[in-house]
Amino acid sequence: MRLGLLSLFALPLLGLAQSPQPADFFETKVRPILASHCFACHNSKLKTAGLDLSTAAGFAPARDRILNVLSYQGAIKMPPQGKLKDQEIADVTAWIQMGAPWPQAVRQKSDRTFWSFQPVKDYPLPEVRNQAWVKSPIDRFILARLEEKGLTPAPPADKLTLLRRATFDLTGLPPTPREIDDFLADQSPNAFAKVVDRLLASPRYGERWGRHWLDVARYADSTGADEDIRYPYAWRYRDYVIDAFNRDLPYDQFIREQIAGDLLPAARSGEVNVRGVVATGFLAVGLKLLAEQDKPKMVYDMIDEQIDTTTRAFLGLTVACARCHDHKFDPIPTRDYYSLAGFFASTKSLSKVEGTVSQLYFAPLVPSDVYQRYEAAQGLIRAKSKQIQEVVAGEMLRRTAALAPRLADYMLAAYQYDLRPKAQEKLCIGDFAHERNLDSAVLERWDDFLKPGDDFRPFLDAWFQALAKGRPAAEEAARAYQKQFQATLAEWSGKLDAWRDKVRADAAAGKEPPDRPNFDGGKDRFFEAVAITPSGPFAIREVSFTKKKLGDAEEKSGANPLFSAEANARIHSLEAQFAALEKASPAQPDMADAVCDGAPVEQHVLIRGNPGNPGELAPRRFLTVIAGDQIPATHGSGRLELAEWLASPQHPLTSRVMVNRIWQYHFGQGLVRTPNNFGLLGEKPTHPELLDYLARRFVEQGWSIKAMHRLLMLSSAYQMSSRISKAQAEADPANLLFSHFDRRRLDVEEIRDGLLAADRELDLTMGGTLQSGFGTDGENSAARLSYDPAVSRRRTVYLPLRRSNLPSLLNLFDFGDATTPSEGRERTNVAPQALFMMNSRFVSERARDLAKELLAENSAGDRQRLETAYLRLFGRKPAPEETDDLLHYLAAFRGKTADSGLKPEDPNLFAWQSVCHILMSSNEFIYVD
Amino acid sequence: MIPEISRRALLRNTACGFGTLGLMGLLSDVQAAEPANPMAPKKPHFEPRAKRVIFLFMHGGPSSVDTFDPKPRLEKDNGKPLPFKRPLTFAEGQMGGLMKSPWQFKRYGESGLPVSDLFPHVGSCVDDICMLHSVVGDSVAHGGASLQLHTGSNTFTRPSMGSWIVYGLGSENQNLPGFITIKPSLAHGGAKNWSSAFLPAAYQGTALGNAGIKARDLVEPIENLVNRDLTPELQRYELDQLQKINRRHAFSREYDPELEGRIQAFELAFRMQTVAPEALDVSKESAATKKLYGLDREETFDFGWQCLLARRFAERGVRFIQCSHSYKWDQHSDLYRLHTKNAREVDIPISGLLKDLKARGLLKDTLVLWGAEFGRTPVAQGADGRDHNPYGYTMWLAGGGMKGGFAYGATDEFGYYAVEDRMHLHDLHATILYLLGLEHTKLTYFYGGRNFRLTDVAGNVAHKILA
Repeated sequence: MRLGLLSLFALPLLGLAQSPQPADFFETKVRPILASHCFACHNSKLKTAGLDLSTAAGFAPARDRILNVLSYQGAIKMPPQGKLKDQEIADVTAWIQMGAPWPQAVRQKSDRTFWSFQPVKDYPLPEVRNQAWVKSPIDRFILARLEEKGLTPAPPADKLTLLRRATFDLTGLPPTPREIDDFLADQSPNAFAKVVDRLLASPRYGERWGRHWLDVARYADSTGADEDIRYPYAWRYRDYVIDAFNRDLPYDQFIREQIAGDLLPAARSGEVNVRGVVATGFLAVGLKLLAEQDKPKMVYDMIDEQIDTTTRAFLGLTVACARCHDHKFDPIPTRDYYSLAGFFASTKSLSKVEGTVSQLYFAPLVPSDVYQRYEAAQGLIRAKSKQIQEVVAGEMLRRTAALAPRLADYMLAAYQYDLRPKAQEKLCIGDFAHERNLDSAVLERWDDFLKPGDDFRPFLDAWFQALAKGRPAAEEAARAYQKQFQATLAEWSGKLDAWRDKVRADAAAGKEPPDRPNFDGGKDRFFEAVAITPSGPFAIREVSFTKKKLGDAEEKSGANPLFSAEANARIHSLEAQFAALEKASPAQPDMADAVCDGAPVEQHVLIRGNPGNPGELAPRRFLTVIAGDQIPATHGSGRLELAEWLASPQHPLTSRVMVNRIWQYHFGQGLVRTPNNFGLLGEKPTHPELLDYLARRFVEQGWSIKAMHRLLMLSSAYQMSSRISKAQAEADPANLLFSHFDRRRLDVEEIRDGLLAADRELDLTMGGTLQSGFGTDGENSAARLSYDPAVSRRRTVYLPLRRSNLPSLLNLFDFGDATTPSEGRERTNVAPQALFMMNSRFVSERARDLAKELLAENSAGDRQRLETAYLRLFGRKPAPEETDDLLHYLAAFRGKTADSGLKPEDPNLFAWQSVCHILMSSNEFIYVD
Repeated sequence: MIPEISRRALLRNTACGFGTLGLMGLLSDVQAAEPANPMAPKKPHFEPRAKRVIFLFMHGGPSSVDTFDPKPRLEKDNGKPLPFKRPLTFAEGQMGGLMKSPWQFKRYGESGLPVSDLFPHVGSCVDDICMLHSVVGDSVAHGGASLQLHTGSNTFTRPSMGSWIVYGLGSENQNLPGFITIKPSLAHGGAKNWSSAFLPAAYQGTALGNAGIKARDLVEPIENLVNRDLTPELQRYELDQLQKINRRHAFSREYDPELEGRIQAFELAFRMQTVAPEALDVSKESAATKKLYGLDREETFDFGWQCLLARRFAERGVRFIQCSHSYKWDQHSDLYRLHTKNAREVDIPISGLLKDLKARGLLKDTLVLWGAEFGRTPVAQGADGRDHNPYGYTMWLAGGGMKGGFAYGATDEFGYYAVEDRMHLHDLHATILYLLGLEHTKLTYFYGGRNFRLTDVAGNVAHKILA
């Protein structure tokens, strides 16, 4: 079978050239042909017929023969499944004529001397001329480059700009008027350092910086892809991340817990390491195609997803590129990929792989004996409910069997009732039924059922055709329908009775009985419509007596008038037992979307990524370019050892990659501008010495992220103005040298939370979930949408995310797609965003609420009101001319409202709402200087 | 003087999305050579045959052997086992023998192509249709198959073909989205089927409602298009004040094109408020037109409305329009009843669209694509259903420089595998791009260290179907 993934990452950098280079021609045309038709047998392991066509050296001996073989003219015809297409043969021919260039030989590759694989170095601090500018060692690195280019750094930002910048940066919220006053009042030299400390101590900090990490961890609350099945407990991982940032969990421990927290010891023996288990949600909450029917492919796609996320998140490497072939640019052989795959293949993320839709694994957060007691109690409850179903099924069969012999009579009576003469027009259906000794309620349903309608029911075609022919034909048809019905009923009764016997036997033996069989409608659509579909004329509305399905009061009584007294009594008694079992059951233990160790897998290389084509053994080990090729001692899945390797202080990538992310979130761009790719195709660091300096400090300071914030934010570099000079704009338009602070548009969370903060509606409750339910929803159901952000007042980070259908607000403002580790948010600027600001109920409500609040301050004058609005939204006071301008606008707007014909309840509020709406929509609110 | 701005930065930062003024005026001559507005119409690689696409998506998978690809052999061998190894199916374990079609086929038009009794109205348009009998995909489950049909990949999140096309060609109407999907299903990939993935967000599809909402109940098909508080005059007055404040803000912040970009985005948004509702308003269409699309009957109203909107968008220069007959065609059982019901909902609207496009001279440069993520098996599932079949199934194209009344490719005599002119979904994508004047190997986007294409590393254009 064809695997789309086989060709992934095989695409070279072409597309710009008019006529493809030979190397590109090979990659796009020839390699795919060889890969799908030849490599399966002629690879370096199997070497069928002594040939390895998968390398340049191996291919050489076949070069002169291959066209003959492909032509199907000679004795040997290849490939054996059938001749290639003419176009394919033409492509191979053209390539041979080019001299069969094999691009690996010409392609530039990185090796272990590449900068990012080198140990982190200890550079001396650079000398600079402008010593006065240096507040922090960081500044030396920045200034040295600027001086080298003859550029001067931007002047310091003013105090209020800096406060707004730092507050959004660390908490995702605007500063409050009180915080503004306090900072302005504090003239001490360390006033800003105090602000940074205050912000880092706020729980709002974890909500902002935890969200950055959740972007990297491609966090969402459902599987996405095909079924979009809920991760009902993923929120615990989200809360863990927020907490980890708030408590400044050392980053190395953060790595250990996310990769192998379930394998770390609990605080006390016999307990579960709840934090650790929850932390492995990092591995569990990725995109999954649970309805993929090629299950081995599905499993390896999931492992690939875990490898991709892990290596890009922690190492900034695109290891997943090596799934089908050696990495094209970085020294990562396919064998390394499968060595890593071994860790994840030996880890369990699904409870059941087999079946149409595979099932997710949920980890209990209680000791196993506690969990088993709960499971046992649930088993008893399920068994009891099946005993109730057994009685109900018996009663339904009994009733259908009693009615079946009169089916023809019912059909004919319905027919006759509709044809009754004028004289009998008033005759009610009850009397009509009584005359014929039929049940009037049942006859009424037959009458409805047999009315021709829009609904297409081919199983009634024979009936309507017979009716057209007259009474004898109708009688004959009715008898035929009855005969068929009784035959199907006999078969169905046999099946259902066998199940009922089994339920009784299992119940007696204390076993959990099997599920009730379903009627296969395809066997008899008429029977299905009459006796199985709840609205059918012979059906009893199926009553489920377990409380989950109890509907109206009639059902709650437990007595069905159509059942025998004995059955009702039996149901009553079973129901009481059911209720008692439910009461006796322990509460559902807390669970997590997490992983645990499975059976260790001896992982082989899968040739061309195909699970059906295993190659050499790939024992579990780390990336050879960094760790060498010795095989580490591992326990179980080996994840703990993997985690220790990733979190090692000597690792050349781990600390660099993380300090680069921290820098990027503060400064808008990383020192390496491809935060998930530190390989050959990634960007080189703009300040390699600074990157290494930060990486060393990070490790020396115990991997403390908060210490890094202080280090970066207390520098002159962070505190520069965002105003750009002509010289800077011309010499360094992309601001690679950080000569000024990059103005940035707020992220979607900051826009939404910031507006809610401005009208003081923001609900600061932390943690928990707003998502309910399990599994997925109907394919045509709007229930597959994510939770609507306009409904909640909670911070955006707490809104659940159905991965396939993220909230449109989040899509609108560049949230990303939550399927792969984010490189950082895009910041687009499009008209639909403007429409949201102009017309959404959400912004309109915020503006009205803020206006109301401003007006509620009775003692305040309009000037003070505008000052409050400016402070809340822009973090500053308005200049007098701004106030004058808006006061003029208020007056004019009131006049225009009167002219417009609109009759707002409170014209003054209406005008103030407009002012608030303007300020909320303005560039000054949505950009941070 | 504005600093040099990379093209990517422009794509990211200019005021567009569903259209824009762009920043042409602000740019130096050198950069003006590059399209500053990502939605501006772009020159295709070569002379196109079609300018726009309407995709009629039959979500769930109609059966080919029951619609457009008759197989007399099934009649003959009804009930017998399939005489070769059956490939992987979705509902393993429930598969039975060969099952004949419950419908009769008739030949239509001058071409005499066969169409089953499910689609008599489409049958009457058959001389404008090019059947693709040999479409092949890689997934037997809806999710992967739907994603592959829409994005080329059944595993990863990739840009939708509509996004690629708007990226390649821009849009001819700057006040409407360039890529619109009407009532899409939220299942089987959901929004990933119309997302721009790593392409700039400007190219993402705009969804009008979703499959869970009836057309009649869709009060505000495009979000945030209507202001509930103000008259247009008052809103303009408010906007003028906003822009005054924004310009004052920008005055002291030089060399930042984003600030001006956002000012322009509000101007565009203001215009869109007028243009888009007019396009969405079908009330002024004549009674005859409404009847042509089936808006006069409940059964056909929903899809008819979608098709009529599609024509209105096509007239207004929207580049890629998708109508979805929501997830209904998945007949694992009760095939006869439910396929009949489904076909009755779409047959008249589809033929109405084709006839109307033709009458208005739009069909010649509009490419209409009909089909699903896969077809259905020629063998029975259970007693009266068919399972998924991505190994060879029928889609069709009409208009836009195609051979009408032409059948391309073929499946085996049972209708299981494509055996002649096999057309993988990558080939279908390559062909659609070709018809639009785009060479699929040159329509690339650099992301995450490499170039990406809609067709990955595959794709052959089906030249035989070109008129």
